[in-house]
Amino acid sequence: MGARESELSEITTLRADLERHRRDALEQERQLERYASDLADTYKQERARAQELQDSYVATVRALANAVEARDAYTGKHAERVAAYGLEIARAMGLHLAEEAQAEFGFLLHDVGKVAIPDSILFKPDPLDVAERALMQRHTIIGWEILRHVSFLGEAKAVVRSHHERWDGAGYPDGLAGEAIPVAARVFAVADTLDALTTERPYRPRMGIGPARAIIAAESGTQFDPAVVAAFRGMDDAVLERIGREHAS
Amino acid sequence: MSARTVLIVDDDPFIRKLIATTLRNVGDLDLRQAADGEEALELAAAHRPVLVFLDVEMPRLDGIGACRRLRATSDATIVMLTAAGEELEAQARDAGADLFLSKPFSPLDLLRLVDGLPGVQAS
Repeated sequence: MGARESELSEITTLRADLERHRRDALEQERQLERYASDLADTYKQERARAQELQDSYVATVRALANAVEARDAYTGKHAERVAAYGLEIARAMGLHLAEEAQAEFGFLLHDVGKVAIPDSILFKPDPLDVAERALMQRHTIIGWEILRHVSFLGEAKAVVRSHHERWDGAGYPDGLAGEAIPVAARVFAVADTLDALTTERPYRPRMGIGPARAIIAAESGTQFDPAVVAAFRGMDDAVLERIGREHAS
Repeated sequence: MSARTVLIVDDDPFIRKLIATTLRNVGDLDLRQAADGEEALELAAAHRPVLVFLDVEMPRLDGIGACRRLRATSDATIVMLTAAGEELEAQARDAGADLFLSKPFSPLDLLRLVDGLPGVQAS
C-alpha cells in the first residue's frame, strides 16, 4: 500500500469516527432533552399536588372548626372572624406568620377542645363554680391533645393550647407570661377579645369598634402583649369593620 | 440486606453515567458499568446482577449476543436499550430479554422500572 493509499484509508477512518461522534452527540442531546421534559412534567405535577394537599388541609381544618361552632348558636362564625382579625393584626406587626397557614389554622381551631366540655357547663347561664371552671379551662389542653399528632398543624397546636394565656402570667393552662407565650397566641388574645366585644351575646348587646379599642388598650401589658396592642391601635376601623361584615354570623 | 447489583452496559460512557446517576439514590443498589458485551459477561459472572441494562449496538460483543450468553447463566431481569426504529424486539426476546426501554428513554420510566423490581424499593 502506497503512501497515498494509506492516507486515504486514514481519512476514511477519520470520517467514520467523525460520523460516529456526530451520532453519539445527537443521541446524547436527545436523551438530555428527554430528561428535561420529564423534569418539567414532574415539577408541574408536584406543584399541582402540593396545591391539592394544601387545599385539603384547609378544608379539613375548616370542617373541624365548623363542627365546633355548630354546637354553639351564639358564637356563629366567631372562629372565622378571629382568624381574619388575627391575620390582619399579624400583618400590621410585620410578622411572617401572617403568610403562614399554620397561624390561621390555630386561630380557626382554638376552641376545638370544647367538644369535650358538657353542655351543662358550656351553656350554663349562671356563673361556673370552681370545679366547673377548672373543667372549662381544660378545653385548651384537651384541644392540644386532640391535635398533638397532626404534624401539618405545627404552630397551630401552640395557639390552641396557649390562647387563654395572659401577658402578665395570670392566664391558663400553663401560666406563661410575656414572650414565653407563643406570638400567635398573643395576637389571638387581642383578636378574640375584639370579636367578643363587637358581636352580640345573650348577656349584652354588641359594642362599636371605638369602645372595644378603649377596653383593649386599657389591658395592654396586663392581659395583652403591648406590641400587639400597639399594632392593633394603628389599624383602620374600615379594615376591622370590613372583616366583621364579611364574616357576619 | 446487602446491596443488589445493577449492571449498566452501553458503549457510550455518557449514557452509562446518566443511568448510573439517575439510579444512584434509588434503594440500596450496587451500580456497575460495562462498555461492551464481553466486559458485561465478566462483570455479571463476578457480581451476579439482579438487573441488567443492555445496549444493542456495541463493539466486540453486541447486546443480542451478550443477552443470549447472559441468559444461559443468569436469571437477572434483562432490559434492552433500543434506539428508535430498531426492529430487534423479536430477536432480543428470542435471546432472553425481558423488557425494552427505547432511546431516548424517559428517566421516570427508568425509575419506575427499577422501583418495581422485587427487593428494590426507592428510599
